[in-house]
Amino acid sequence: MKSIFGRMLMVLSPGGCIILLIAGLSTLVIIFRPLPGLEGQAVWIYTPRHAEIYKRELAQWNRLHPDNRAHLGLFEYHAFQRRLLSGFLAGTPVGDLIEVERNMIGPTFTGTFDDVGFVDLTDHLRDEGLLEQINAPSFSPWTSHGRIFGIPHDVHPVLLAYRADLVEAAGIDVSKIETWDDFYRVLSPLIKDLDGDGRPDRFLLNLSTSPLQAELIEALLLQAGGELFDGQKRPVLDSELNAHVLARLATWLVGPRRMCVDAPENTAAGDAMRVRGTVIASVMPDWLAGAWKQHMPTLSGKIKLMPLPAWEKGGRHTTVLGGTMIGIAKTAPDFEKSWAIAKYLYLSPQSAEALFRGICIISPVKSNWSLPVYHQPDPFFCGQKIGELFIAQAPDVPLRSSSPYNTLALEKFDDALVSLCDYATRENRYDAGELEPEARRLLGRAQADMERLIARNVFLASQP
Amino acid sequence: MKPTSLRSYPAWAPWLFLAPFLLIFFAFTAWPLVQSLVLSFQQTYGPRRAAFVGLANFSFLLRDPLFWKALRNTTLFTFGSVLLQMPAALVLALLLNRPGLRGRILFRLIFFAPSLVGTVFVGVIFYLLFQAHTGIVNQVLHALFPSFDPEFAWMQDHVMSSLILAALWMQAGFGMIYFLAALQDVPAELIEAASLDGAGPWQRFRHIVLPEIRPVAGFVMLLSIISSFQLFELPWVMFNSGGGPDNRGLTIVMYLYENGFIIGDLGYASAVGWVLAVLLMLAAIIQRRLARKQED
Repeated sequence: MKSIFGRMLMVLSPGGCIILLIAGLSTLVIIFRPLPGLEGQAVWIYTPRHAEIYKRELAQWNRLHPDNRAHLGLFEYHAFQRRLLSGFLAGTPVGDLIEVERNMIGPTFTGTFDDVGFVDLTDHLRDEGLLEQINAPSFSPWTSHGRIFGIPHDVHPVLLAYRADLVEAAGIDVSKIETWDDFYRVLSPLIKDLDGDGRPDRFLLNLSTSPLQAELIEALLLQAGGELFDGQKRPVLDSELNAHVLARLATWLVGPRRMCVDAPENTAAGDAMRVRGTVIASVMPDWLAGAWKQHMPTLSGKIKLMPLPAWEKGGRHTTVLGGTMIGIAKTAPDFEKSWAIAKYLYLSPQSAEALFRGICIISPVKSNWSLPVYHQPDPFFCGQKIGELFIAQAPDVPLRSSSPYNTLALEKFDDALVSLCDYATRENRYDAGELEPEARRLLGRAQADMERLIARNVFLASQP
Repeated sequence: MKPTSLRSYPAWAPWLFLAPFLLIFFAFTAWPLVQSLVLSFQQTYGPRRAAFVGLANFSFLLRDPLFWKALRNTTLFTFGSVLLQMPAALVLALLLNRPGLRGRILFRLIFFAPSLVGTVFVGVIFYLLFQAHTGIVNQVLHALFPSFDPEFAWMQDHVMSSLILAALWMQAGFGMIYFLAALQDVPAELIEAASLDGAGPWQRFRHIVLPEIRPVAGFVMLLSIISSFQLFELPWVMFNSGGGPDNRGLTIVMYLYENGFIIGDLGYASAVGWVLAVLLMLAAIIQRRLARKQED
């Protein structure tokens, strides 16, 4: 009589038996494997760049506060967006403390005040004097219905990064650059056909109409003083100033005075172009400085920072790009405990130092700006004290709208720019003044679309 | 053994056997359909907040330029891909169906393999291939034809062409398999008889092969139209979770997804879904009628 094993072998074949054995063993491993200690507050974040820093900071926090422990949950960006919205709109589980990027916040503000899934922090921030301690513009993206729903993580002032090696080798003095017109005039000798095919292979600035660069377009618009929404969150796309900016941007992108090329940040293709010297300058927020150091070490000692050229003489020499906050979910079981962790992660000097050392992000807490870490020379940027350079611009960063429709409005603005570039090429018109009427018309159409879209939101319409 | 009479089963027996299918059908098809129809008359903010808006979703949809752009893009993609994919698939199948061809299995695998690659991977691959400065397509074309602009903006100005080409690479092999099966069913004696009667290759193809494979061609076309109208992952990946510059790559399903799952208005997304369903039904009806007319 054959054993059970022998009979199984006959019925299933050796391969089948091995598959069954592996399935059984892996099931047992999954059942009996101890779960990692997920006790305490769940801190949800969306970027591995922050995770490395928070892991160390939370380990320290957990040692000091065994009664209020916290653990990190790191999610892929888009998965994070879905989980966040599902949590707020459908009640699926979410973290207690949630770090949110600016593009994610809009949909959480689309409903009424009661629909916002974050705790209103305004009174806590005011009572503890944090409204004065934190750089004021940093609150703007997280303010909706007149209330603040998060602690800002950053300021994200913007400078201009340029290939100092190429610029200096050409004998160009960048101190003569005050405006974007100066930028083109002074640096245009660097636009060159390097391979002799009759087409330029080197451009002055990384910018395009690609949706990947839409935020960069917004940053430049804000720098010029333009805006997509007014203080009451009404769309104001078709303003004269916006049309002026749109027309000038179009002349940067197409025509005889073209100076821009598409070299998107955080992409292999874009980085290859930067390393190769296809693009001379890039609009650089503080976080991007950290990314460049990590992604393109071969550029070390070749890059310098300078204030952003202004749109007009005497204009603003910086803007703002990107942004993150931490909020506390309404479902968090113990607000005070979550609040303590949020303040530690975002506002403490040690976190600020770790953030700058790790990824070059400037703390929004003004008292932290005197930390020695911000005043040290950086060899990647030719020994410049980049912390000081960014902090010098921090108070001037423009305010931003927290309209839930901001992303869509920006998309419309970007679409108008694409259409204007097409128009300029088709009509062979490359003078900004000549393009302005068409820019105004395109923005008028975008404005009408936005108004219609917002008007159909019955939930916002029911708000007082 | 005596056969069991049908009458010996109780009356509810068929229902018992049908129950697994009916349960799944009602839970996952019929009920969601009814729910989505109800939703299409509401405006929602997530699944918990809903307000009845009557036909407002449909009337807004008809006035929304973005919907029309998505519809135009999808239709353009459908025409482009069907018009390219069908002949490409048929040509591949004809080449592989030649008698005495060596390495037939290898070629079949090579041509069919892209269909096995996930759409997301295809999106990533073509995103890299079509990059303006660093993409291999422009670099090769510029090397072969120096007058070709290495900055040729596939992903900016030629969005639909890049999508159609990516879909062609992915889907042509799939249609080829159907055509190959149909070609192998064409009676050899008919071809032989036509040859004896003096018919050339084109005449044999035109008057014998083509009529024989027409039902399969109709089926492949219908599948291609339906999958083209449902296009989502490819542009979503190639244009980094969006419709591309000026929404030139926005499709109806992307428009539906953005409204339902990014803005959170499931009601509006349901309305878009129903419009898409009606469009697909119309396409199927038209295709059936045309096929029937040709059969007659």
